[in-house]
Amino acid sequence: MNIELTNVTRSFGRNRAVDGVSLEVGPGVFGLLGPNGAGKTSLLRMIGTVLPPSSGEIRLLDRDPKNAAQRREIRRRLGYLPQNLGYYPAFTVVEFIEYFALLKDMPPARVPKAVATAVERVDLGARARARLRTLSGGMLRRVGIAQAIVNEPDLLLLDEPTAGLDPEQRVGFRALLRDLGQTATVVVSTHLVEDVGAACSEVALMDAGRIVFRGIPAELVARGEGHALGDAPMERGYSAVLQAARQGGVAA
Amino acid sequence: MTEPYDDDGERDLGGIDLSRVWTGVAAEVWRRHPGPVERIATRALRSPGLARALLTTPSLMLPWLISTAVVFAVGGLINFAGGQSLVWLLGPGIAAVGIAYAYGPGADPAWELSCSMPVSERMVLLVRAVSVFAVNAFLGLVVSAITYAGASPGARPVNAAAAAITVAWLLPMTAVCTLTLAVAVTARSAAAGASAGVLAWLAMVFAASSASGQFTAAVTDSSTYLPYLAVAACATVAVGYATRAQRGTYEY
Repeated sequence: MNIELTNVTRSFGRNRAVDGVSLEVGPGVFGLLGPNGAGKTSLLRMIGTVLPPSSGEIRLLDRDPKNAAQRREIRRRLGYLPQNLGYYPAFTVVEFIEYFALLKDMPPARVPKAVATAVERVDLGARARARLRTLSGGMLRRVGIAQAIVNEPDLLLLDEPTAGLDPEQRVGFRALLRDLGQTATVVVSTHLVEDVGAACSEVALMDAGRIVFRGIPAELVARGEGHALGDAPMERGYSAVLQAARQGGVAA
Repeated sequence: MTEPYDDDGERDLGGIDLSRVWTGVAAEVWRRHPGPVERIATRALRSPGLARALLTTPSLMLPWLISTAVVFAVGGLINFAGGQSLVWLLGPGIAAVGIAYAYGPGADPAWELSCSMPVSERMVLLVRAVSVFAVNAFLGLVVSAITYAGASPGARPVNAAAAAITVAWLLPMTAVCTLTLAVAVTARSAAAGASAGVLAWLAMVFAASSASGQFTAAVTDSSTYLPYLAVAACATVAVGYATRAQRGTYEY
């Protein structure tokens, strides 16, 4: 298993953002669904070794992130796209991706080709030398995805990756996700259920810091049968699970 | 001779993978050749990632450097005209602001992403702080030396012979900079660090000048040197502690 979480919690003051999450995830595309404030980003930041848990155990790629040497090894094999991608406006697309390739300890000789491959995979070849300040929100998101995949990570964490992408780009991105998920563990945090249905082999639904459903997308769809709220089958499943969880019973 | 097109109508180039060729070409075309400063930094730090992180220091960017040089030059001119050693008094304050804005969530747009990288954040902090300090010390010393050498003997500042082109004012600068850094990393706010450093320095200047009746006593009075050393030592310990167990990040 590339991700092993045991009873992980994370609190910010009195607010418990993640509340006793246990999870094991292997290779494939894993969707993390949930409403705003459900704890998805905090969970992803903990898996990304950016944020330590308040309690519980985390093992990533068979290593312990509490150990500095092992954490460094995890980070070499990690790709992370934060919800709010900070960037240097004066950098070009290539410079930005190259910068993070170097920070990921990639051998310098391998970097130019890895950067070119990542740029092509997100279809930004025509803007490779454009300054980041000149790009649209969707293009910046693709730059963020490119820096996350430049080291061909074994563990890829994407927080709201399709925000700002147009429908055509989202279709292309889902294909990229399926491709990446053949060899790596890809965790996609989103509140767009259609992304999960199209690209994910497994899905978890979070609410109030807890996982209230885990299964394959078809199971989530099945939960929504007969439920009125939602326009699409998976949306109905999403609403049904959330409603059940809020009425008292965690449905996972 | 083989048919130049295969069954799908694609051009058969004898097994050549055109996309791979294009990626290789793109890698060469887009390859960024590091400048001389980056090459020197890479050799000195033995890490291309750390060298690039150094060059992304906000307070080492060209507009910031120009502003710093202008402030020192104005200080030098006032020195020259009025015989008051303003450069010595400006140096610690200017460097403190630069140090505060060298690192951290409020100063570095890609800080969140950098936190998930194998290159140690503590090393990035150390390298950036030392570099900003060195640049400010260099500029201050150059302006001090020019001012002193260019003035007529009668117009040379009081005690200048001993202090202007020596490192006497580097001691208070070290104390103010480490104090700034300690506040900035503890409060996780560049503005808080800069404010604390500048206010502490202003308080010191006014207290020393009131006690001795000499405007530049904060840098020329040797009885202040020991307290400066004590402040620098305590602040260094505080920086080490704050970055070892910084809130919200892993220990290093």
